[in-house]
Amino acid sequence: MSKPLLQGNQAIVAAAESAGLGFFAGYPITPASEILLELVDRKQIKVVQMEDEIASINAVIGASLAGRKAMTATSGPGFSLMQESIGHAHMMEVPLVIVNVQRVGPGTGMPTFPAQGDIMQSRYGSHGDYCPIVFYPNSVEELYRHTFSAFNAAEESSSPVILLSDGFISHLYETVELKKYPTVNRSKLPLGLGKRHFTGLTHRDYSRPITSDPEVHRALLKRFEKKCETVAKKYNFYEYIENKDADTLLISYGALSRAAYEFKDEYSLFRPIRIFPLIKDLQDIADRYENIIIMEMNLGQYRNQLESVVHQHMDLISLPGGNIDLEEIRTKLDAIKARRRKRLPAAK
Amino acid sequence: MEETTRFKRFLKDKNLPTPWCPGCGNGIVLKSTCDALDELDFDVKNTVVVSGIGCAGRSAGFFNLDSVHTAHGRAIPMAEGIKMANNDLNVVVLSGDGDLLGIGGNHLLHATRRNTPITVICFANEIYGMTGGQVSPTSKRGAKTVTTPGGSPDTPIDVQAIVKAHGCFYARTTTFHLKHLKKSIVAGLRHPGFTFIDVICQCIVNNGRRIGFKDGYDMLMYYKKTYKINDQARLLKETEIGITK
Repeated sequence: MSKPLLQGNQAIVAAAESAGLGFFAGYPITPASEILLELVDRKQIKVVQMEDEIASINAVIGASLAGRKAMTATSGPGFSLMQESIGHAHMMEVPLVIVNVQRVGPGTGMPTFPAQGDIMQSRYGSHGDYCPIVFYPNSVEELYRHTFSAFNAAEESSSPVILLSDGFISHLYETVELKKYPTVNRSKLPLGLGKRHFTGLTHRDYSRPITSDPEVHRALLKRFEKKCETVAKKYNFYEYIENKDADTLLISYGALSRAAYEFKDEYSLFRPIRIFPLIKDLQDIADRYENIIIMEMNLGQYRNQLESVVHQHMDLISLPGGNIDLEEIRTKLDAIKARRRKRLPAAK
Repeated sequence: MEETTRFKRFLKDKNLPTPWCPGCGNGIVLKSTCDALDELDFDVKNTVVVSGIGCAGRSAGFFNLDSVHTAHGRAIPMAEGIKMANNDLNVVVLSGDGDLLGIGGNHLLHATRRNTPITVICFANEIYGMTGGQVSPTSKRGAKTVTTPGGSPDTPIDVQAIVKAHGCFYARTTTFHLKHLKKSIVAGLRHPGFTFIDVICQCIVNNGRRIGFKDGYDMLMYYKKTYKINDQARLLKETEIGITK
């Protein structure tokens, strides 16, 4: 099988096409624009550049309801604009894929620099309660592989799935084996065949809104939660590199996890690929270590999440601003080690 | 079925009554839309209704068709997505002026540029009714609303100019002129490009009574007195209704 050299964003497009993408709507934004650019001349896919990200996500919801597998791609600012409609799509149970190639924020930030600042936004960005499935690969090959995962999980959960990337891996060139992974077909009937009412208001089924019965709303949330958990189990993707001599587990994900490989002689490494729902296996893995360190290109967004699962203090190496520097990481790791040694009682 | 009751096949009986106030004009637009769908013999297999948020936004839920109730202001881009994904569907948007021209105004601007073949029926009642009577993009200058107690200082949006600027179909009608209302919707549904049907529609509870009307009937009579039908015009005057050329 051929292994072409592809950019991260191109790999997403190649996989999306192979997974059956039928509709794409997007708005140009650095560092995600290549996805729109790469798609424009694909014959089988209806591609449209909309007036903004809000229009894009809504066109995607419409196209998905009309029966096509649909996707949009953006970066932080556009992802923020989409949030209301992402929650809406969860409420209407519309399968679709949103690619968010993260850049440094908040605000306009540093558009050409990578970041991991949208972790919380991916999970909790919309108002109300919902349970999104979120993937965050760390190589071009994995972007290709997990674009399939995202499409399949979207179909199986009948809800929006988020594929996170960042300005680093999306602009990275690596060779990719263009394998055809199994794909899940659409099970929901397209629009124009029924008498269903898709609404963002609380409802029991597709007949009508029910907006004053708390039990109906609770049942709906419970069903969403269960559906998400059941589907997520099939996508329990993470990487765990055990080092028998290590007493410390180093957790990282996305672009920054590529730097963590440099430290596998001293630490055991853990990298979630499906970052939400949280990987429960981490509870057992974490138990084997005295110390846990997490590295993130933000101020600790994922640490706060993981501590709820692991119930153990985690030291944070926070590296926002788009720069990944091995020496800086080594210095910070050593500083944590020294701090710990000081805390330990002196040997007799 | 009797011709007068045939519109009922497009409505979900069990979802009625609507949440609309006594004297509201929304039901008139809803029924006229059903009448128009009936005249064109549209059916469940080729027609999808999309609505936004607000009083008019609730319309989609009463249709005996596949229908989508979008987030506030997003009915047009979602309808465009549906149409672009399946060109065989007739896609009808029903929503209010606040939804389509306020929060969703940017989408209208660009949907007319794209000339996406969808039909937009705007319930233009000059007010945000569901939230209690706040000033809307179509409120007349000087209109007293709960957020403009001293009268609206702003120029109402000229939706005709926006839609016509990009060469799209534009019709204006009212809930008093029933035959013209249905005729406008039928013409809009037949038109092969983007169509905008601007229905002047009474809201007595949260608008009319604050600007000097007694009841819904009084508002309808005002429409009768004020608006003259002109289906020959390229551009309608303020007191004209019609299907523009």
